[in-house]
Amino acid sequence: MALATAHQPAAHAPAHNHLAINRAGLWLFFFSETILFGLLLSARFYLEGIHREELDQLLGLGITIVLLLSSVTAYTAETAIEHDNKKVGSWYLFFTIVLGLLFAAGVGYEWSIAHFHRNESFGSVFFTMTGIHATHVVTGVFMLILVWIQALRGRYSSKNPWAVSAVVMYWHFVDVVWVFYYPALYLTQ
Amino acid sequence: MRKPMQTGLIVAAILAVLTVTEYLFATHVDDDLVRVLGITASAVGKAGLIVYYFMHIYRLWRPQEAH
Repeated sequence: MALATAHQPAAHAPAHNHLAINRAGLWLFFFSETILFGLLLSARFYLEGIHREELDQLLGLGITIVLLLSSVTAYTAETAIEHDNKKVGSWYLFFTIVLGLLFAAGVGYEWSIAHFHRNESFGSVFFTMTGIHATHVVTGVFMLILVWIQALRGRYSSKNPWAVSAVVMYWHFVDVVWVFYYPALYLTQ
Repeated sequence: MRKPMQTGLIVAAILAVLTVTEYLFATHVDDDLVRVLGITASAVGKAGLIVYYFMHIYRLWRPQEAH
């Protein structure tokens, strides 16, 4: 009985409590992902120190700028939807998708011109780190497309922005990972 | 909406400056320690800006606030 009573308020919890729980759950997910990406980063320095193979610096800087720019468009989309500006929100979600695809294409091109092999230690960490990161980028683009389609249908507003916020936060997280991966792979030594 | 948009643009500008700083540290500084410290500081600064202003981490401590 006591248990049932204790559970009752949770069933009728106000919307802002659900939002707080959703938000905390998402951050816990980010925390677990941070461990994965952090371990790969430490493996890179454990195996190779600050040494690296030759990479296309212009391409590395270019895709970094593209991903940072996509975070700005994602932020704009989220802000617009939180302020009921649905048209601007949809457009900026679209821009974010395009920039995400551009980043993925850039990584794919880097793979195609890389002169080192995956059997070498630097090649091993490079392809693993960029591969897992690119997988997250592609997943993010897929989720952005789903949210964009719903946004075009007018599903999100200032009262119901969570899905957009969650996907955009995931996108920013992917960006934060690259903020550390870019210097670790392209800028050391 | 104007204020959050301004914030976004300011953060974007700082991110651009830090990215250029990071690149310059990598290409123009010979000392290993200074280079690694400069690159690391730039990366941490960028990550901090994104986590605070774009991912709104402070909202975790304001559960009553909807947005």
